[in-house]
Amino acid sequence: MHKAEGLLDRQTRLLEYLTSGEAIFGDVGSPSRNPLLQGFDRALLHIEARFSHEKRMEKIAAVFPKTFALLGDDRDAIVREFVHACPPVDISRLENARQFYNFLISRWDNRPPTLRYLPDVTTCELAVAQVRIGADSPLPVAKRPTHKRPAHNRPSEIRRNPLIALLHTRFDVRPIFEGKWGDFSPIERVVPLAISFRAGEIGIFELTPEVFDLLAALDAWVAVDELPNAEGLIADLGEAGLLEERR
Amino acid sequence: MFSVAKADRRRRPAVGIGYRSAIAEWTRANLKCFDLLEVTIDHCIYGSATQRAEIFDFVGRIPINAHGIGLSIGTDVPLDLAYLDQVAAIVEQLHAPTYSEHLAFTRVPGRDLANLLPLPKTIAAAESIIAKVRTVQSRIGVPFLLENISYAFEWPDSNLSDADFLNLICRESGAGLLLDVENLYLNAQNHDFDAYEFLDNLSPDTVREIHMAGGIAISDDGLQRSFLADTHSHPVPDETLDLLEYALSLYSPQTIILERDDRLDETGEILADVERIRLCVDRWSKHA
Repeated sequence: MHKAEGLLDRQTRLLEYLTSGEAIFGDVGSPSRNPLLQGFDRALLHIEARFSHEKRMEKIAAVFPKTFALLGDDRDAIVREFVHACPPVDISRLENARQFYNFLISRWDNRPPTLRYLPDVTTCELAVAQVRIGADSPLPVAKRPTHKRPAHNRPSEIRRNPLIALLHTRFDVRPIFEGKWGDFSPIERVVPLAISFRAGEIGIFELTPEVFDLLAALDAWVAVDELPNAEGLIADLGEAGLLEERR
Repeated sequence: MFSVAKADRRRRPAVGIGYRSAIAEWTRANLKCFDLLEVTIDHCIYGSATQRAEIFDFVGRIPINAHGIGLSIGTDVPLDLAYLDQVAAIVEQLHAPTYSEHLAFTRVPGRDLANLLPLPKTIAAAESIIAKVRTVQSRIGVPFLLENISYAFEWPDSNLSDADFLNLICRESGAGLLLDVENLYLNAQNHDFDAYEFLDNLSPDTVREIHMAGGIAISDDGLQRSFLADTHSHPVPDETLDLLEYALSLYSPQTIILERDDRLDETGEILADVERIRLCVDRWSKHA
């Protein structure tokens, strides 16, 4: 590293090195040939790189515990590929998790995983993390959905709770989120799901295609009068925390 | 409103812990065990609504120190003034008497290691930090303190000692020092210098607050001996308590904070460490 360089250039090149597979895993050749490292203690740079990497992966593993367990023997190789492809750009757990998710999905597009339902599990885990964080943030507009209300106090307008996640999975992976492991193999069928977070609990609901489409369409406030004969459905969706209501 | 004058009246530092949301309920139940809490400013800015509510619930119930992890004052780019303004607002809401940050860098544009890295200990790097400290002081309404970090590696062009680097920055900028005694212990062990000599060489009036913690020893194929890591996960080592007692004989910190970030379910260890720190303060005060 040349002293004539500005400090920012040197810091940038150091961080590029510390987030590289070479520094973390000792992947590429002999680091002593790297001119960036002249004068640095390579063993100590490796310690720093390893610490930082382990902290980052702890954040990611906290979002994807089931995915990490199901990756099995592929996990170490995948993590190495991830390090090479996606250097850390943000301190937050969720942003690092998104990076890992995008990397996995892209990888699985080219090389599908042995467990064909694994992308569904990973997608649900990211959605759970997003919903959990979103639900714990201040609501931008309306109050959270309330419990059952008197019949005479019906909402005049509804919209989808913006803090839920809607997604389709190709396998019914819900039992995995209910603790079914081991020899369990999810059934292959398209499942429309809604994921919500209420009273400290994550809810994963299977929807009918019609209800899924209805919720997906309810981005903005809609007058209840525009949805004839839907009173019961609206009440149920509100009860599950999937709708917001205002009067 | 509370103030750290509670410590001043007794001429003893107030002793508390770094607040962590994972033990929010336990902290509330054991609040009487602490003279103050230290809150991480970034959790107030970026934390969840629940985290923020839990933190602000302590305002008025116990004195609060404000500590930051997101400034990256050592990155050689202009400071993020919008972030600093958020810090200023939170410090005011917490009624915190000081705001502290690490003398370190964690990121550069486009890459964030999320880990504290050392700066080259040179006059040029110190001058850059001094200018930034003045910017911080111009936007934050309470005294600003810098914390010494633990570091794995040194920059090859460092030509000042740890103490000289800190003294220069604090003297020229007017910043105080948040002396992390565990970091000092780890650095002295890992990099073969005398921690007591470091304490002797620090300007006596710079140390305003103290951090304590306990880490672990790790091994690595590339290292000839174990490396001590600042994991905030285990009881404070006896050697660090000895250093604290020596530091108390030299300086007059207003507060001592125990930091704990891992194995938080071992709350008995946290209370035991707070008691060990108090005993240390007792021993010092008897001799003072």
